Amino acid sequence: MTLAGCLTLAAALFSLGVYGLLTRRQAVAVLVSVELMANAANLCFVAFSRFRGDVTGQALAVFALALTVAEVAVGLALVILLYRAHGDTRVDLASEMKQ
Amino acid sequence: MNLVLLLSPILIPTVGALVLMMLDAFQKEDGGLAMPTALLHFTAAAMALALWQRGVPSDTSALHGFLAIDKTSLFLDATIALGGGIASLLAGGYLAEHKLDRGEYYPLIAFSTAGAMLLVSASDMLMLFLGLETMSLGVYAMTGFRRGSPRSAEASLKYFLLGSFAAALMLFGSALLYAVTGHTDYAGIAEVLHAAPANAAADAAAAIQVVTRSRISILAMLLIVIAMAFKVGAVPFHMWTPDAYEGAPTSTMAYMSSVVKAAAFGAFARVMLAVYGDAASAGSAAGWPAMLAWVAVATMTVGNLVALTQTSVKRMLAYSSIAHAGYVLLGVIAAPREGTGTTAYASVLFYLLAYTVSNMGAVGALILAGRRGAESVSYDDLAGYARRHPAAGFAMTLFLLSLTGVPPTVGFFAKFYVIRATLDAGYTALALIAVVNSAVSAYYYLGVLVKMYMRDPAPGAALASPMRSGYVTVAILTAAVFVVWMGVMPERWLDLAREAVGAATAAAPSAATAGGNAAP
Repeated sequence: MTLAGCLTLAAALFSLGVYGLLTRRQAVAVLVSVELMANAANLCFVAFSRFRGDVTGQALAVFALALTVAEVAVGLALVILLYRAHGDTRVDLASEMKQ
Repeated sequence: MNLVLLLSPILIPTVGALVLMMLDAFQKEDGGLAMPTALLHFTAAAMALALWQRGVPSDTSALHGFLAIDKTSLFLDATIALGGGIASLLAGGYLAEHKLDRGEYYPLIAFSTAGAMLLVSASDMLMLFLGLETMSLGVYAMTGFRRGSPRSAEASLKYFLLGSFAAALMLFGSALLYAVTGHTDYAGIAEVLHAAPANAAADAAAAIQVVTRSRISILAMLLIVIAMAFKVGAVPFHMWTPDAYEGAPTSTMAYMSSVVKAAAFGAFARVMLAVYGDAASAGSAAGWPAMLAWVAVATMTVGNLVALTQTSVKRMLAYSSIAHAGYVLLGVIAAPREGTGTTAYASVLFYLLAYTVSNMGAVGALILAGRRGAESVSYDDLAGYARRHPAAGFAMTLFLLSLTGVPPTVGFFAKFYVIRATLDAGYTALALIAVVNSAVSAYYYLGVLVKMYMRDPAPGAALASPMRSGYVTVAILTAAVFVVWMGVMPERWLDLAREAVGAATAAAPSAATAGGNAAP
């Protein structure tokens, strides 16, 4: 796979993530969108790491993967919290504090 | 050994958090961890000061360019640890009063503090991301700590989704910087970015490469600025702030609005100054202070205007924290200026410490005024409070005056130094807007005082009465000591802040040249 191909894929994933974040109402779908964005960045790191023949980018991607996994764990716990409190996981339902 | 010594301010909360987890696991009943946690934080602060006194070891090669342990990071470490210590004391009082006293809160605070220290010491994109996530993950969990409450669930999920969105933006920004420079450490990135114009004219292909590089680096800068603006709660990325602050347990709110903000601002100033440098030498990416100026104006104005309309004191403090982020941004904007920049950067550090103690105190006073079952304290709840409970009322008064910026409290000098730095850097309009905003903010802060001292409660209304808690009292006293001490001798504290950044700015050019080979 060429560098241009990898970068196009990364850009597409990132844009898809932003789109999902802005349009999806299910908390889990929003979470998936955010993860798409993070993984687009990881893909970018790995692609350039290979292109440059320098492992720094790959090392960073491994760290970032571990951190995003931890993030997802906390995120899913919070989604469960929301489900227990509201009986639903739609983010637009949760509007207790609207002025 | 050298390495352990250098990292000790970060290691103390990290190891301490592990010990706290063990203590919590083997403890028969909940509670009682607040004091160890607070001591842990104060030890970390003392360690940072000891390292400062002893002189930071000059040989930091053991850190491989991942972390920059210098006086700037030690100053911020001490600020963060002090704030974290006061927050754990507040938690000791608050969580017990509201029947939330589960032990896992305290390791979470300690881990977040370690992450915050990592964040302000970072000199590599990897460490920046690592610190940001370590800090945030703990705070997300602390925000959703009131498990049964829909508000708490909503607040934490909102904060989490926008926070991880910001983290993803930050990660993508660093990926772009790595793509164009091949470095992830600040010094290496800055070297490649700033070297670009010199050999640009050589041939057409190189020129195109330089143009692409500067365009992508601007895009990366935008992503990083937006991510940081989310974290500090700057307009227009502040939407989550009031909801998250109001829904979170009040002791978490104290932590989020002071410590997290101080850490994010410290890291923000460092990454912008180190990577994009001063306005003159940064080439086509020079526009960041001008861009941030608009953000600062919007942040101050929106924060203050919306705070005017609030009826809940907790929500008012949330909007006030947005407004204060705007004032700090002024200092960040003035910091890259040649000559006067050092004092501006010092005024940022001074402001962060001043805001941390003032805000901790104000939230502490609010916690003190709220009994179990009567927590969301509105302006009306506080009617006549200071006449019935003079000491508790006086504490609230002191911290609100500091937030307003009335001498001789520290808040006045914090604002004064930031605005003076803005004037010195030649941003007269910005300084004027800040002064007007500061005057507007007096209305809603003093509104609380008017209620407390001059109004009688409505007949039949529930009377706010202070809860009894040694923890909260100690926390408020600690914050009060700093508010008064820094307000009485501000020059001495500003000199400390100046010393903190003086070393950093003097070391920056040599780090830029030496940092290249430190890249792993």
